[in-house]
Amino acid sequence: MPDIDEEVEREVRELAALLPQQGPITSFAFLNPLQGMEQSSFFEVLRQVPEIYGCEPWLSETRYRNKLQRGRIRESDLREILHEECGSAAQDSIAGLAPLLELRLTRLRDLITPETSHELHWMIAELDSLRRFHPAVSATSRAALLESAHSWMQHSHASGPAPATDLGWEEATLGWMWAIIQQNRPVNTDAAAPTANAGSIRVRELLLDATGQDPDELVTEVLVAFCAAWLDQGYAQWSLPDQEDGFLSAFCGLFRRPIAGARRWLRELPMALEPLRCGRITPAASILSSLKAFGVADADRRAWLRQTLLSLRGWAGMIWQTESRPDRVFRASPPGTLLQFLAIRLLLDEYATMEVIRSHFGRQMTIQQATAKLLPGYQQSRQRNRAAHEAFVLFQLAQIHGWGPTVLSRLTPEDWLALHREIRGFDGLERRRLFHLAFERRLLHHALNVVHIRASRPQIKPTLPKFQIITCIDAREESFRRHLEEACPEIETFGNAGFFCVPMYYRGAAEASWTALCPVVVTPKNWIVEDVVYALEDSHRNRAAARRIIGRASQGINSGSRSSVSGALVTAVLGPLATIPLLGRILFPRVAARVNRTARRIVAPPAITRLRLERAEGTAAGPHDDGIGFTLSEMVNLGERSLRDIGLVNDFANIVLILGHGSVCLNNPHESAYHCGACSGNPGGANARALAAMLNDRRVRRQLEARGISIPEETWFIGGLHNTATEEITFFDLELLPSSHVAHLRSLRSILSSVLERNAHERCRRFESASLELTPADALQHVQERAEDLAQTRPEYGNCTNAMCFVGRRSRIRGLFLDRRSFLMSYDPALDSADSSILARILAAVIPVCEGINLLYTLSAIDNHGWGSGTKLPHNVTSLLGVMDGAASDLRPGLPWQGVDIHEPVRLLFLIETTPSAMLQIMERNPSIANICRNGWAQLAVLDPQTSAIQRFANGSFQPWQPDSDSLPEAHTSFDWYHGHREHLPFASIIPRSPAESASKAAATGPVCTETVVHGVSQPC
Amino acid sequence: MLSILGIIVVVAPLLLTAVLGFCMLLRIPLRERVISQLTATAVVSGLLASLTILAVMLISGSRHVAVSTGDWVRLPETAAAHPGEATAPNIHHSTPGSPAAAHFHFTIKFVFDRLSVPFVVMTFVLCGVISAFASRYLHRDEGFSRFFLFFSFFLTGMILSSAAGTIETLFFGWELVGLSSALLVAFFQDRRGPVQNGLRVWSIYRVADAAFLLAALTLHHLSGSGDFSGLAGQGAWPAGSALVSSGPALFVGLLLLFAAAGKSALIPFSGWLPRAMEGPTPSSAVFYGALSVHLGAFLLLRMGPLLEQSRLLQALVVVLGVSTCIFAAMAARVQSDIKSSLAFASLIQVSLIVTEIGLGLRYIPLIHIIGHACFRTLQLVRAPSLLKDYNAMINALGDHHAATAAKVGIAAPAREVRLYRFAFDRGNLDPLLDAYLVNPIAAAFLWSDRMERRWTTWLAGSSEPRSDTAGENQHNQPDNRHGTQHTTLTPKQL
Repeated sequence: MPDIDEEVEREVRELAALLPQQGPITSFAFLNPLQGMEQSSFFEVLRQVPEIYGCEPWLSETRYRNKLQRGRIRESDLREILHEECGSAAQDSIAGLAPLLELRLTRLRDLITPETSHELHWMIAELDSLRRFHPAVSATSRAALLESAHSWMQHSHASGPAPATDLGWEEATLGWMWAIIQQNRPVNTDAAAPTANAGSIRVRELLLDATGQDPDELVTEVLVAFCAAWLDQGYAQWSLPDQEDGFLSAFCGLFRRPIAGARRWLRELPMALEPLRCGRITPAASILSSLKAFGVADADRRAWLRQTLLSLRGWAGMIWQTESRPDRVFRASPPGTLLQFLAIRLLLDEYATMEVIRSHFGRQMTIQQATAKLLPGYQQSRQRNRAAHEAFVLFQLAQIHGWGPTVLSRLTPEDWLALHREIRGFDGLERRRLFHLAFERRLLHHALNVVHIRASRPQIKPTLPKFQIITCIDAREESFRRHLEEACPEIETFGNAGFFCVPMYYRGAAEASWTALCPVVVTPKNWIVEDVVYALEDSHRNRAAARRIIGRASQGINSGSRSSVSGALVTAVLGPLATIPLLGRILFPRVAARVNRTARRIVAPPAITRLRLERAEGTAAGPHDDGIGFTLSEMVNLGERSLRDIGLVNDFANIVLILGHGSVCLNNPHESAYHCGACSGNPGGANARALAAMLNDRRVRRQLEARGISIPEETWFIGGLHNTATEEITFFDLELLPSSHVAHLRSLRSILSSVLERNAHERCRRFESASLELTPADALQHVQERAEDLAQTRPEYGNCTNAMCFVGRRSRIRGLFLDRRSFLMSYDPALDSADSSILARILAAVIPVCEGINLLYTLSAIDNHGWGSGTKLPHNVTSLLGVMDGAASDLRPGLPWQGVDIHEPVRLLFLIETTPSAMLQIMERNPSIANICRNGWAQLAVLDPQTSAIQRFANGSFQPWQPDSDSLPEAHTSFDWYHGHREHLPFASIIPRSPAESASKAAATGPVCTETVVHGVSQPC
Repeated sequence: MLSILGIIVVVAPLLLTAVLGFCMLLRIPLRERVISQLTATAVVSGLLASLTILAVMLISGSRHVAVSTGDWVRLPETAAAHPGEATAPNIHHSTPGSPAAAHFHFTIKFVFDRLSVPFVVMTFVLCGVISAFASRYLHRDEGFSRFFLFFSFFLTGMILSSAAGTIETLFFGWELVGLSSALLVAFFQDRRGPVQNGLRVWSIYRVADAAFLLAALTLHHLSGSGDFSGLAGQGAWPAGSALVSSGPALFVGLLLLFAAAGKSALIPFSGWLPRAMEGPTPSSAVFYGALSVHLGAFLLLRMGPLLEQSRLLQALVVVLGVSTCIFAAMAARVQSDIKSSLAFASLIQVSLIVTEIGLGLRYIPLIHIIGHACFRTLQLVRAPSLLKDYNAMINALGDHHAATAAKVGIAAPAREVRLYRFAFDRGNLDPLLDAYLVNPIAAAFLWSDRMERRWTTWLAGSSEPRSDTAGENQHNQPDNRHGTQHTTLTPKQL
């Protein structure tokens, strides 16, 4: 039946959206791991993820409670959130005993809820729970309990002598209470509920639960090795036979012969593969027949396929990535590979499951019989545990609220039912969600307070800026910009997405392949190459030849060392020499790095290069000689757009520095994750360089002038690259700098060198292995050492700790210490059109990109093993496109623990300087922004462009936000504020020491720019 | 003076183990910096001492320095007459059955000669470098102190076995190396894979150890002591010839070869080597790239004189070496992840080294070991750089194909798939081992267990089976987890 085949194919394609969206690790994409579910509400999705992904949606209750004890979560916030969540039911009394809100608060604050039955038994046995009152029992409750116990005794409900001591009474009271609660344990009123989703429980879960043997393990052993060979981009010396015929053919070809000595269950596989191999049945039909063997009803098919697909989601995701984005890999997968993968997977599942059943239950039993046999026990064991847990929770609640035996014994069956329903309804996931809300709220209020107070003060903007510096919106550049402004008040800084609106494929002078320098979601339309200038071409050619020789030698040594005879020669002869780099790199990293750099410089391409930037008008762009570059009109459009986006259309300084950023480190498969996220995990220097070159072009400037942006003759744009690991800045095309600007640049560079030291110093406070007493110069050396150290797993922290994103004028929040926790996008609402077209196009990129970065960090920090890639220590680079844990495992997308260990997992707060109506309009027009904001994947607030009023977006509309504090901590310098601290710091206002000086430089009143805005021609980017 | 230096070499790692071990036992948390400084101190003092020994030996021309701690157990001819002399009574049970032994020595003795000194120096250098690496690599990991404790076990084990002058001493070190290996493979205890693979490594080591122990006993039986010098004559290594005749030499040699095959992952035990890549990168580097995997070859080198006693034995060593080499060379070619590929690459060289030993060479394998260990350590430690290295190579060579020239079409189409499958399945060594070794042994033990129960029941005179057999009767009850614990002793878990 082709119809049903198509249906299965469509389902698989849809389900693929749930797989990790991470492509090859060499171009690390910061995307929300749950991107495929953004059209649903954040909280609903997170409620489901334990079931779908087997991952934690929130931190553990213990960790939240620690934060409550340390004051990071406030009880008042918890109460407030409970009020909001319970609504009108908050004060309803449960079973006539206590208001709902109080019960829930007690459970959040005081109760220890066992998660497993082992934990429960341990608590009962080890914590004296049945003999001593709960530690949170107050004096009044205690008195009430004992009094109730006395009257219980008097009414001779209890047999035996009255206890003699206080402790005896305590024990007796608890005994009676426990007995009453046990008697009234919930009847399984909703026994039918778990069976409702029984269809999506894979047989594997039942078998694992019952036998301790995991059929998935058998499958994984075969499938991981095969997927690795299939996806291999060229590491293995023998490639997979018949790879060109597709996944299915290659697999069938390899496994079609029975092999003596192979595992028993694999020996029967060839027969099953035969129909698939000859094409007698399609992969979709094979999937259906496997599902039939498992006894899956049509209604459960989707859920079952989903769980199967997600059970090895790293590999499945990568197969899907190579299939759906073939431009991003060297060896792509043909269309339909994921479907074939699933067909093979289910076939293997079938045989592995039968093997486990056979070895535990005998040869005759079929899969369906086993399911029928095991399912009731599986569900029952969960049911039983739940009842015991609920009793224990109720037992503690009763103590804390002082419901003694007499009170409990008076409860009617309806009361018990209400109590049990409440206890069951307010489950662990729900409690953790509320904790999380309170956790986020504390930070949210703080951030909004701080911005509100700051925005009510005068804007700070140099009237005659000496230098203007444009950086990426990256949270890492927050401190860099702040230090720049502190060091030189005449500097004005801007933030823009790090590809500076110049999307392109780029190939450097010493590079062999094209790199896409733009966000993952964009496909570039232009190709740019870097050429060595003609005068140095000979030297370029010689050096390229030298590099080729070195490359060939290193290739020879590398592959030789992995083979036999040449390996013997290589290892025995060169082996002892290997101690030199080994000792050098590990014991003396700095020296080794210096030697290495010097050696590299000898063969590196000559220093003077140019971007081949211009293409003749009317020719088609392409990766060939005539197609390289932008046409003049494209350049004008790009230049205009990137200036208008950040609101830099007048008051140009003499030098405008455009800084892309990247990061260099050693021995780190995740290096790409430290590069610029807006450049698909690549350094963004080339984009900055291209933009600067365009804006320096006289023809471009002339046309820009016609469009209302007049760049003065004296202004010179310089492109550069900020290395965020080593805090070094590379400038491009300095040989073109007019001599009139040399002195300016020299003074800028001296400012920069001190700023980089300060920035390094601020970063060092986060590194536990860096002393807090370092001087800025030492700190710079320390961060450079980290990047050169072979053993360093944390060369930098990337965007870790990000918590908010400010889109608006820098002048309104300039002087705030935001602790490297905020993305900063420059945008001037005064220059925008009436329909906020500039903001709309900015946000179209900024919201999804920043939200993706934030959620990848946040989820990786919440459950590093589930969403992240676990610790780096056992990582094993596979197939040249990903990492596994140890010898063989699922592919691990996501961020490693060493990249998120200091991250506070909160959803990003977008704070945008605009009006609510403009924002609502933008949401209306852009479904992706609407999904993110309306469904709660990020938090949103707007800052009024004229006043300091803030409106928060909640439940589909903007509500005025009332500041709950009017104090803003102050310090003279950033250094004063952060010095000596490692932890997250409150935001603060940095007010330079001499008030007279700073006052003269701050623009005194209101918005600075009131110029009329020319309607910009926007170019999709 | 030399003996003092020798003692420093041995005691430095022992002290380190003791300090780290006691601190952990008494739950005294040590700061990361303290741990790494302690380790560095131990390694540096050991290294300096061993280098001084080397210098003195070079200058003085002495080629054999023995450091003995005296006999720990000595049983004169009439063993039963002087029981008081025995200080380690647990050795007793091994002697009564061997009346042929004129007298029995249990000696802890260390020998510094042309074999052990290079090995000791290499161990200190590599362990020192790797511990410096690990102290930064494992920063803030919750298992930091555990790692260093296991690592110190390993260091001690390596030094003890390298410098061992008697087979007992060698065995002691050998065991420590095995223990620390298995524990570090299972370093990430919260995941199933590492623990299973660690258990597998451990089981194979135990089998190899059993062979070693038998060999040691037999040697005692033959020569009355486990002293290598007694065994190999008085000549310093590699000179000297064994005092054992060829028949027993073949027997002992076979056992030792078995032990070496287990430790060095020769056929049929090769399956564990790639599985052992579960621990943190530095431990994988130093264990399976460098030191631990060469220990089997070292044992064969040490026992060289014994091998020479039997042509057949030598031939077997060569055959084992060559066949492992062919197997590993094939398996290495299909691995698409760097750690497995380096594991098989290591295995190729180790098997070549074994072949060289079988051919009667002595210095060449020694040089080969040292060169290979250093090279492979560097390679493994740099394994996470693979992507960057490849990128650099692609850029230098100008295109992707040139840098990643995988061979397609290795043989005629039909045979190609078969060869690939053989390599892909890693020769099915693990399933074969399970089917022909593990399962029969497990079955035998289970059978013995049943028989014992029956026997005890019969002795007790009751016809009721004892209560704890009830669990076993419930094997097939799905909800009885404890009952099924027995049956889950499947090959996969061994």
